Amino acid sequence: MGEILRIENLCKQFGGIVVADDISLTLDAGEIVGLIGPNGAGKTSLFNLISGVVQPDSGRIFLQGRPLEGPLHRRARAGVVRTWQHMRLFRSMTVIENMLVATREYPGESMLRSMFATASVRRAEAEARARAMDLLARMGLTQTADNIVVDLPFGQQKLIGLARALMNDGRCLLLDEPMAGVEGSNYETMQRIVRDEASAGRAVCVVEHNVSFIKDLCTHAVFMAQGKILQRGSVDELTRSRELTELYFGTVDASVDA
Amino acid sequence: MEYLASAGMLIGIYIILAASYNLIIGYGGLNTIAHPIFFALGAYTAALLGIGTTLPSVVCVLAGIGVAVVASVALAVTTLRIEGDYLLIASLGFQLGLLQLVNNFEFTGGPAGLSNIPVTITGPGRGWLYLLICAVLAVVVVWLIWRAMAGPFGRAVRAMRDDELACAALGRSLFTMKIVIFAFGCGAAGLAGGLYAYYFQYISPEQFNVAQSATILTMVVLGGIGTTWGPLVGAFVLVALPQAITFMQLPTSLVGPLQGIIFTVLVILFLFLRPYGLVGKREAGVAH
Repeated sequence: MGEILRIENLCKQFGGIVVADDISLTLDAGEIVGLIGPNGAGKTSLFNLISGVVQPDSGRIFLQGRPLEGPLHRRARAGVVRTWQHMRLFRSMTVIENMLVATREYPGESMLRSMFATASVRRAEAEARARAMDLLARMGLTQTADNIVVDLPFGQQKLIGLARALMNDGRCLLLDEPMAGVEGSNYETMQRIVRDEASAGRAVCVVEHNVSFIKDLCTHAVFMAQGKILQRGSVDELTRSRELTELYFGTVDASVDA
Repeated sequence: MEYLASAGMLIGIYIILAASYNLIIGYGGLNTIAHPIFFALGAYTAALLGIGTTLPSVVCVLAGIGVAVVASVALAVTTLRIEGDYLLIASLGFQLGLLQLVNNFEFTGGPAGLSNIPVTITGPGRGWLYLLICAVLAVVVVWLIWRAMAGPFGRAVRAMRDDELACAALGRSLFTMKIVIFAFGCGAAGLAGGLYAYYFQYISPEQFNVAQSATILTMVVLGGIGTTWGPLVGAFVLVALPQAITFMQLPTSLVGPLQGIIFTVLVILFLFLRPYGLVGKREAGVAH
């Protein structure tokens, strides 16, 4: 399957702190790439650079061969969508409203078209609602649709964060610690959905500290430290590497079966 | 009876002003207190065109709306790109600066204002006819704002208020939404200005100063910021209240300061006791 995202020589520095040091990386369709490394390695910063939260000092990013540039919303419209470690759900809104806002084509964003509920707005709304309900059904969360999102249990909120991102229907999905604080059936659901979305042809990149999740899910992983990509390989290769384990856990003889 | 029609006109005009200001500050979260300057732009444009040309009054009012919209977009485009509350400062500067010009230009009548605005409707029913037009326009403005905020646009705006970064990262253009909100709100203020000029046939700079900003803000806060009905209730109460004070036959030297004190005390009381206003509910979720 084809290449979705290509990053070339990305650099970013905040004052004296280098968060991205000549990073090059490609993500292919159907791939789930784990991004691992110690805290402060620049994993979330890399997501910020790709999604447009911060602009790089140098280097380029391509989405399906086309340059990915400009502010956040333009990149999301191009099909790069991300989740956040702290979810950043719209707290005054219901689950379904959270999801509807994330629709990539959103004709209601025009105040006039929204005011007069033009045919295109009504059609887009109906389609988006159907898609949102489908997604919720896949997650077994249909009955939560009209709940205020922050009233849900934490694990379900995490799933809604993913569901909201999936409403964008982008080809490139960046997941920032999707498993932190997620257990039991929600854990299984998260895994299943991420796997399904990759099979559907999306390129998925996951920042995650839960190594077993990475092992279960990722086709391969990238190890980052101090803004650099140190190694790319299978998850087993990376976790077996004594040098990387030491960097990650800070001890020589730690078990890696975390 | 003419007195009642005139009070009704004031309520209608203030409903348009408060509802549009609520759209800007309550829903859009755009901090500006310079709403009266767009009211003034509408009023002065309509009045000057009415005096100086033979254009029909409807065209003059529309031109007033146009000028208010253009000025608001220019102001928003230049200030909203910068992070922080530059809109607040820029709009206040714009208000004070422009009023200073109006005060000193000859063609605007200086501090004395314009008092020769042509009569458009004559006859005994004038007041009531104006009131009808004004009421219809007020209903239209409130209805349009309600429609916009109840639909997908309003949903995106609430998302923006909840979390700007997350909203933008999902593809919504915050900049565009803010500009559109500001332009629509200021255009409505321009409409109110045109109505005011043609009905009262007299405008002067002091009607559009910072005290007017405070009045409109009080209406929105008192009624319920970020609600549909709040600005209506606020406009009604704050127009009716001073009229009631006038009926108490107090010496004129007392009336002015008394109104100021009442408005100020009301805002302070409401901010403490009922921050969501008369009609607002805690879970309105659109304003904090």
